[in-house]
Amino acid sequence: MDFYIGLLQIFGIHTLLGLSAYLLILTGQVSMAQAGFFAIGAYMAGICTAMWGWHIVPALALGGLLSGVLALLIGFPALRVKGMMLVIATLAFSEVVRLFFFNFNYTVLRDGIPIGPIGAEGFRRIRYFPENGWTTIEVSLFMGLIVLLVGGALWWADRSRLGAVVRAVGEDELAAQSVGINLTTIKVAAMTLGGVIAGIGGGLYAHMTTHVEHLNFGILLATFAIAYPILGGMGSVFGTLAAVVFVQGFLVEGLRFLGDWRNLLFGLLIMLAMNVRIKQLGDVRLRNLLRGLFGLRRRSHAGA
Amino acid sequence: MADFWLEVADITQSAMDGLLYGSTYALIGIGFTLIFGVMRKVNIAFGAASLAGTYASLVAFQVLHAPAIVVFAVSVIASGVLGYVVYLTCFRFIAASNELGSLLATIGMLLFLDEVTVVSTQGMPMPYPVLFSDTMLFFGPFSLRSDLLLVFVASVVCTGILLAVIYRTRLGLATRVVSQQPVAALLCGISVPRTNATTFVLSGFLGGVAGSFIASSVGLLSPLLLIPVTLKGLVVTVIGGLGSIPGAIVAGLLVGLLENVFLYFRGVTERDIYVMLLLFIFLAVRPRGLLGRLHA
Repeated sequence: MDFYIGLLQIFGIHTLLGLSAYLLILTGQVSMAQAGFFAIGAYMAGICTAMWGWHIVPALALGGLLSGVLALLIGFPALRVKGMMLVIATLAFSEVVRLFFFNFNYTVLRDGIPIGPIGAEGFRRIRYFPENGWTTIEVSLFMGLIVLLVGGALWWADRSRLGAVVRAVGEDELAAQSVGINLTTIKVAAMTLGGVIAGIGGGLYAHMTTHVEHLNFGILLATFAIAYPILGGMGSVFGTLAAVVFVQGFLVEGLRFLGDWRNLLFGLLIMLAMNVRIKQLGDVRLRNLLRGLFGLRRRSHAGA
Repeated sequence: MADFWLEVADITQSAMDGLLYGSTYALIGIGFTLIFGVMRKVNIAFGAASLAGTYASLVAFQVLHAPAIVVFAVSVIASGVLGYVVYLTCFRFIAASNELGSLLATIGMLLFLDEVTVVSTQGMPMPYPVLFSDTMLFFGPFSLRSDLLLVFVASVVCTGILLAVIYRTRLGLATRVVSQQPVAALLCGISVPRTNATTFVLSGFLGGVAGSFIASSVGLLSPLLLIPVTLKGLVVTVIGGLGSIPGAIVAGLLVGLLENVFLYFRGVTERDIYVMLLLFIFLAVRPRGLLGRLHA
């Protein structure tokens, strides 16, 4: 039973990560920086509870806030570049954050044990939940509540006028600009809010695992973040949720019997999804691809 | 005063070593930029595919006990083949207008290759043939590692061959036409997919050269090299200007040099932070890079 509750908690945390990228992709920005924001939130929230003795809620809030501020700061220069260059820039940002925590030492003594981030060794004993007697069920409900709040707010905003504005920026910047939408405001706001959501997710992650280290926040995590909304389709927040359940539930946990080899499947899945781009089963592109594979259709176009 | 001059000599020595080592970054950067030149798309898997080719050459080293030069040749060929595989899986069947689709597919490929090398070697570093490591050349207070010097010379030769192919052969002409006017190229009867595939194989060859030099100058091949080499290559490409071969050469040498200076002052764990920050400075101040064209 504990295994399934643990799995639900992973779903919750990865849903927050995926939603932070979902919001950005809605505005047409593909960001690999979510892993960096996630790391900042994780370390900051861990420092607040384990070292400064704060309550979990303000700790998560501060972690989210710090990530948000950094997202705001990198949002402005990142706006100068688009598409591929933004991916490279944000990828570099995540690496800078990871390398920063690789070199980051800050400890205090509590009960004679040094507690805090110690460079490559990571940050151990973020034990707020067990120390304060939270049961697994209570922790899960707490996480579920946060996911519900964030997901619900995004779902509601998506259906409102604001959602239409955000989608307009993502679909066609020129058209959006010509009807008087301020592109900079929307994009930077999405970047900031995405940073806050990823930071909160990171804070929860640190408290769930009780130990974080820089290796947790590499390119794989950044790819997970953007893969969920893309694999799930950009229709609504439920697509992201479904993709999280599929990737974490089926690919990572369900195929555990394959051992290390299952890690290969995630990369392959992304490649396959990009080549096929199925919106739904029976999609015309899927039909064409199958026809092409079986030689029923001559490839006459010369693109790619 | 003597201390000061000693310090200056040390820094100069670091910078020179870095400059020589930077030639491998230049090769990786040229590979990235070549693909961008013809496809207008970034192939994030390029660095990983190159090193995966170098991994394939370990088979020749460990099983067949082939001499170093054969191992290097296998690395070059395997990387070329992998370049073609990357083209097929990430570019051939994805619409030309869908640049993010290809980008994500190559990120998938990067993770895939990373995992394949980790799983197939249990994550352990493997020894790689070293070229005369003990020989040093001395110039007054300075010394040059002769294998790094060879890497530098070989990189220059490879770059020369590449430039000759691009500017002196019909194949190179076709490549340049496709990169400038794909539709006109099509009208002239140039096969765009075939030209693109050739570019991927060519850049794969370069990557294979770079991969085997990187491995042999360290003496070890580790899966931990894949992602840093990818990032360095991207940094070099962006700083040099996307699509600019001279830019990639200058930026590669510059990054190699600065990296070693950062290493001298701040140590190995912090070194890469400053290399990445260099990228941010360029993106904020000069997004088109050193020698890139506007709106490249």
